[in-house]
Amino acid sequence: MGANFESEYLMNKFFSKKLSIISFIFIPIIFLWNPNWLGFFGAQPYWPLIWLLPWSMIYGSINGLIFGLFLGLILDSLTLDDTFTQIPGLILCGFLFGRIRIHSDILVGHFRYGLICSFGSFLCGALNFFQIFLKNFSDLNDLILIPSVKNILTEVFLTGFFAPFICSQLLRMFKFSKGKL
Amino acid sequence: MLIIRRISTNRWWHKKKTWILFAVFLFLAFVRISKGSLYKDFYYFISKPFWPGQFQKEIVLESIDQEYLIKLNLLKKDNLRLRRILSLQESSNNDNMSAAVISRKTGSWWRQIILNKGSKDGVEIGDIVIGPGGLLGRVRDTSLLTSSVTLITSPESKLGVWVDRIQTNGLLVGLGDDNPTLILYSKDADIKMGDFISSSPASTLLPPNIPIGIIQSIDETLKSKKTAKISLLANPQVIDWVQILKVNI
Repeated sequence: MGANFESEYLMNKFFSKKLSIISFIFIPIIFLWNPNWLGFFGAQPYWPLIWLLPWSMIYGSINGLIFGLFLGLILDSLTLDDTFTQIPGLILCGFLFGRIRIHSDILVGHFRYGLICSFGSFLCGALNFFQIFLKNFSDLNDLILIPSVKNILTEVFLTGFFAPFICSQLLRMFKFSKGKL
Repeated sequence: MLIIRRISTNRWWHKKKTWILFAVFLFLAFVRISKGSLYKDFYYFISKPFWPGQFQKEIVLESIDQEYLIKLNLLKKDNLRLRRILSLQESSNNDNMSAAVISRKTGSWWRQIILNKGSKDGVEIGDIVIGPGGLLGRVRDTSLLTSSVTLITSPESKLGVWVDRIQTNGLLVGLGDDNPTLILYSKDADIKMGDFISSSPASTLLPPNIPIGIIQSIDETLKSKKTAKISLLANPQVIDWVQILKVNI
């Protein structure tokens, strides 16, 4: 009986400590799942940023940069496109997000997540676009411009819309697993 | 006075019956001039409940379907025979395989679907994926249990296509939106909205004659080429089951 309790306690402790890492596994899953009912014009929020923001805010720039790289590597392996990589955008965002401090006002902080994630999404989208643009420099420049701008804007809007809800919950979870709460 | 009144009531135009007969005559004359249109319209209403009903319609549609199916099979056989005579490319219909879509990225930058059949089931890189309507894309990558398909809407996708009406080859490029663009490297190409696009007989990537889409709009602003937006026949956003075709090119 005692051993049972102890193992359960240890398991709970392990899960609560590693909650942030466990949540990392869900990013590629939701990226692939891509639920249509969360979409807008076929686009989805840029999920990795929504996870990366609270992570970087709690663990700092270097950690953000490293996990941005990890996320980029995983997501690049899941997508087929050779024309662009998500790594530069996610590394840059991970590093920048690490320099942001948690706001004391909960409400302001709440909406700030949306704004920051929108900015991050714009940055990543723009970097993706420039990579595609350079790859197709010769023939498709004019044709590819409008769809790309549309893609960037929808993604910025959706990421900014969902970030406040999810980021605050993730932030609480990461704080809890780090033992700050 | 009395006598006068009596004479006047005896005049024919004072008789009600005469006027009724006259009215009937006028009505019949109108019917004659209008070639019985009133009768026909009247008949329309009274016969409406007895028209050939839904059941009859189903029988007719089923017969038409069967007729088309037989015609299609005959044409396919003809096509195959002629292709063999001319030693042209042919797609084998025996190696088709159904697969379910388990992940779908049809918006934003990534245009791909993941299927539940992989190298274990014999799927190979380069196989063609079609859905109800026509071409969806090509298998780009396989794992043991899954295969990833680059959709023709992806910026990665560039395919040779055939505009049937004007018998011209063109290049279909994905631009990262739902409508890929057809590029014809000739300003004189007489494409029109509604023209049908299929895979090119000259393509080295696709078997010929796979339906792809219809020209939705034409852009003639570029100097050296003509471009057109294509509305795809197969809709990757909603398709849950697809067919993987083995390519013998």
